[in-house]
Amino acid sequence: MVLLLAGRANAAEQRQSLDKAPKTDIEALLKIQNDVQKLLPTVRPALVAIQTGGGTASGVIISAEGLLLTAAHVPNGPGKDMMVILEDGTVTTAKSLGLDKTTDAALAKLKDRGKPWPFVNLSREVAKAQPGEWCFALGHPGGFDKARGPVLRVGKIVKQTANSLHSDCVLMGGDSGGPLFNFNGEVIGIHSQIWEGRDQNVHVSMAPFLRSWEAMQKSQVIKTWGMGAGGYLGVATVMSDDLELAVADVIDGSPALKAGICAGDVILSVNGDDMTDQQQFSATVRARAAGDTLKLKLRTHGKERDVSVQLEQKPQEEGQ
Amino acid sequence: MTNERPAAPRAWAFSSFGIRHSAFLFLLCPFFLHADPPRPTLPPEQRTNGKHTLAAVEKLKPLTIACAARIESPLGRTICTATIVGEDGYVLIKASEVPELHKTRVKFSDGRTADLREVHRETRLDLVLAQAVGITGLRAVSFGAARPLTMGQWLCSVADAGTETRIGIVSAKFRRIPGTGAALGIRMDEKAAKDGKGVRIVGIASESPAETAGLQEDDVLITIAGEKVAEFRRVHDLVNKRQPGEIIDIRYLRKDKEESCRVRLASRTKVLQNWEGEDFANGGISLRSDNFPEVLQHDIPLLPTDMGGPVATLEGKVVGINIARVDRVTTFALPVEAFWTEAQLWIKADRHPPKAVPAQ
Repeated sequence: MVLLLAGRANAAEQRQSLDKAPKTDIEALLKIQNDVQKLLPTVRPALVAIQTGGGTASGVIISAEGLLLTAAHVPNGPGKDMMVILEDGTVTTAKSLGLDKTTDAALAKLKDRGKPWPFVNLSREVAKAQPGEWCFALGHPGGFDKARGPVLRVGKIVKQTANSLHSDCVLMGGDSGGPLFNFNGEVIGIHSQIWEGRDQNVHVSMAPFLRSWEAMQKSQVIKTWGMGAGGYLGVATVMSDDLELAVADVIDGSPALKAGICAGDVILSVNGDDMTDQQQFSATVRARAAGDTLKLKLRTHGKERDVSVQLEQKPQEEGQ
Repeated sequence: MTNERPAAPRAWAFSSFGIRHSAFLFLLCPFFLHADPPRPTLPPEQRTNGKHTLAAVEKLKPLTIACAARIESPLGRTICTATIVGEDGYVLIKASEVPELHKTRVKFSDGRTADLREVHRETRLDLVLAQAVGITGLRAVSFGAARPLTMGQWLCSVADAGTETRIGIVSAKFRRIPGTGAALGIRMDEKAAKDGKGVRIVGIASESPAETAGLQEDDVLITIAGEKVAEFRRVHDLVNKRQPGEIIDIRYLRKDKEESCRVRLASRTKVLQNWEGEDFANGGISLRSDNFPEVLQHDIPLLPTDMGGPVATLEGKVVGINIARVDRVTTFALPVEAFWTEAQLWIKADRHPPKAVPAQ
């Protein structure tokens, strides 16, 4: 599996393209409508409802063998049996494989049924899901309801972060794990959580799935912070009351701990680049491979100090 | 102890999906919490219901907003929205929002206001046909067929008390929505209260009619709609057979002092599902959200006060009347086929009442 990370497009360039966005007219809306209606019959059969002890959720089949993407908080652990309901009401089961608890990404496998499962492809071009792009969501909000069927929402991507997409496709309980699609009919997000605003609907992007694919297939649980495709530092960060980037926690045995980084340290810069927020910091760490050395400028109890850390391979915890 | 909710309530949603697990959320997406995110966020005006996108449907306003009106209280508070169906003042309104229609008035988009005369109340459809007294020259909606529409079809609705437009899509299958009667949202003590008088409340559902009316745990219900109650089953029966939206008078004891309140009942299904307030909707939900013969489900972001307004295709054909805001993702509209043939008969009968036959 190719590892593709969310590219960090130049912000100014992006704002400019947003400003240039053509005004929507009825013809443009009707094109969206036609495209969605054309794609629906092909993508709908891949949507499933999931029932666990904890409640109802959704998922999407992404291979003929029955691999299923969902949100990590749905199975909440590897090797969990889940009841799965297809659109026509057929009931089967799936077992959860690995999950990435830091991003809410999870993989599961449907029970073999002796013939291929209907599936959709996932988008490997993570960076293409930019603010302003139209998208559509499917799911089973409130649980499976045969008379109602799956529920569609059409909207726009509002924001892209390292591991997530935010959209104005409004979600609610039961949608967790359901797919967000682009207009190629490819999965670009997995419904994860909502904030109170109508436009605050968060989907796991494909980045964590692609990055952790092999680990998830091996039923591993990823619970580490500040890790990347190769390089791993092992700190959790927090924004302080003064809006400075601070270390919230240091993971046992991590390179950060060995280098003497402590909870409460303020991170001023990495390799000479000023650090102002958590996303920038985690993107900076992620961009480097295991074995690379990072030079961090820290402030501890009001005193600045420089620390060199050699990044390591990210640890992968075996199933619980 | 017994209650209005089923013995084994269905776990309806993942609570972690909501807004409760703040620690979990913090690790996942701390970006909301801090000012000036470095990544571009789509400006509000460019979002699906932002003004740039809505500019596309601006020219539909004469076919939608001009055919809607605002129903308000004598003090000018918006109660709900109405759809104009006759140029001589006939409007359709969501019945359960106006149990006391004579206490409301209508305000049209041209600024005229009028009192309302109730012509016909159809509880099955949750519609009231009323006539604005002394009003003529209105623009009535032009209806088009709803049933041929399929999932993904764009729709636009009148919002913000009949002044704005919002867009969304047909989001699920057309279907009947069964009902389970009305509820207060209380759990009651199975044992009769002391000296056999009244029924004690032992639990109140979040955002329920009982909570809105100010009822509290340990209050003892004495009369429901004028009838004395001594047994929890009787309370349940008296409430359940009524309609969501209906107002009932309740007398109760609080710390041995007799008090009274008026409660507007809600659909039982919703009260039970939302016992802990888990099913939050932006801007609230309608009191009656079930028991409809047929609905068109859409995802237009609306408020309960927008119910009763028209929903149209992008060609400007009105295909239904918004009838219930159900939850964060769901609004129901009555498709035109479900009410219009009937409603035309009500209007006709009212315009041309049968003449009295002269006595022989």
